[in-house]
Amino acid sequence: MNFEDAQKELEQIVQRLEHGQAPLDEALALWERGEQLYKLCRERLDAAEGRIEELAKRVEESRPAV
Amino acid sequence: MSKAEALQYGDRKVYTVASFNRGVADWIARLPTIWIEGEVTELRRHQGWANVFLTLKDPTDGSSLPASIPRGQFDALRLDLVDGERVHVYGRPELFAAKGEFKLRALTIERFGEGDHLAALERLKKKLAAEGLFAEARKRPLPFLPRKIGLVTGNDAAAKRDVITAVTTRFPSAHLVVAETLVQGPRAALAMVASLQEICAEGVDVVVLTRGGGSFDDLLPFSDERLVRAVAACPVPVISAVGHEQDTPLCDLAADVRASTPTAAGRLVVPDHAELTARLDASRTSLQHSVRRTLERQRERTHSVGARLRRAPALAVERERRTTEALHERLRRAPLLLVERKRAALENATSRLRVLSPSSTLARGYAIVRTEDAIVRSSSEVEPGGRVDVQLAEGGFGARVEDTR
Repeated sequence: MNFEDAQKELEQIVQRLEHGQAPLDEALALWERGEQLYKLCRERLDAAEGRIEELAKRVEESRPAV
Repeated sequence: MSKAEALQYGDRKVYTVASFNRGVADWIARLPTIWIEGEVTELRRHQGWANVFLTLKDPTDGSSLPASIPRGQFDALRLDLVDGERVHVYGRPELFAAKGEFKLRALTIERFGEGDHLAALERLKKKLAAEGLFAEARKRPLPFLPRKIGLVTGNDAAAKRDVITAVTTRFPSAHLVVAETLVQGPRAALAMVASLQEICAEGVDVVVLTRGGGSFDDLLPFSDERLVRAVAACPVPVISAVGHEQDTPLCDLAADVRASTPTAAGRLVVPDHAELTARLDASRTSLQHSVRRTLERQRERTHSVGARLRRAPALAVERERRTTEALHERLRRAPLLLVERKRAALENATSRLRVLSPSSTLARGYAIVRTEDAIVRSSSEVEPGGRVDVQLAEGGFGARVEDTR
């Protein structure tokens, strides 16, 4: 599952929970699913940040002296 | 010599002087009557003579021509001529047979001074102007940098030297082709026309026609119709620099550019090499500056785009992180909210339930009457003497039915 899909689903879950129409048992299941999605999103973001840092460092190193 | 009678001496045919003169005179008499220009010299007029005699002299080379005019005719003209004056004589050639003298038989004489010359020039000028020879629209621009410059000038003339000096001072490597020619006298105009054509044939791309200052007569060839037309018809632009500032020979008007002096013509025909070099240098410098500036600007733009590029992913991650965190915050609160909401709904239901219970009605003073079996809703359900229970808002009591209605 990619980041965008995960975030989209998380958004839908939050909206559903906030509308408060879900039965309680289902709401708890949704919450659990939401937390999973949140964790997935966090991991993807951390990974992306890590790659950015790495790349920035490489760019900085390969830059010719001005 | 049809009329001449020849004597025969054996095989030799001999004419008498009289018959020879008569013969030549007859032949000459057939020549047409024409205008001749010359200077008056040796004017001889005597009361007793039938004719006035004079000698016409060509001022350019001193050629002379005896002439005569009937005295009555001469007097009627009231010319008051003195030696040295220029005249136009209308007449025909004649041989005075008695003396074998050739002369011009004048019919009339006109003084031809500068004023007359000017009038004739003015007529020519009007005629050529009417043909459009002097029109501004015909003027061609001078080449910016002529590859080959033609110079038509008198031989050994100061004008020639002035033009060459001015040209070579301004543009040392200029290529000059000089055509030396007659610039005054009756043959000058045609000589200059020929020189102009010759020099054009050499492939020049501009021509300077020049001579220094001179008398009115000296400059006359430069107003000769043939030269003026040749200048106008010249395939390349012509700069005319003739005489001094105040002289305006007609070739000046037909030329593409008129220069006041030969030196001025030299300055006009080539650009100043030093100035040109300086301008070129300045242009090169400004070109370099401009290129450098453009380069610098592009470098800065690239730099700033690069900086934004490097910031962009982190910004994107940051944005997504904020969105995700906000979602998570909402997710975290959602179940609790949900429970709260359900609890509220429950309480709402309970309170509505309470409203529906009879206790509040009892509190308003009503009572519930029950038999052992059920709540009494009708008097027909009890009988006098029957026992009932009465429930009040607070407590209750037992009772017996007295009567029913």
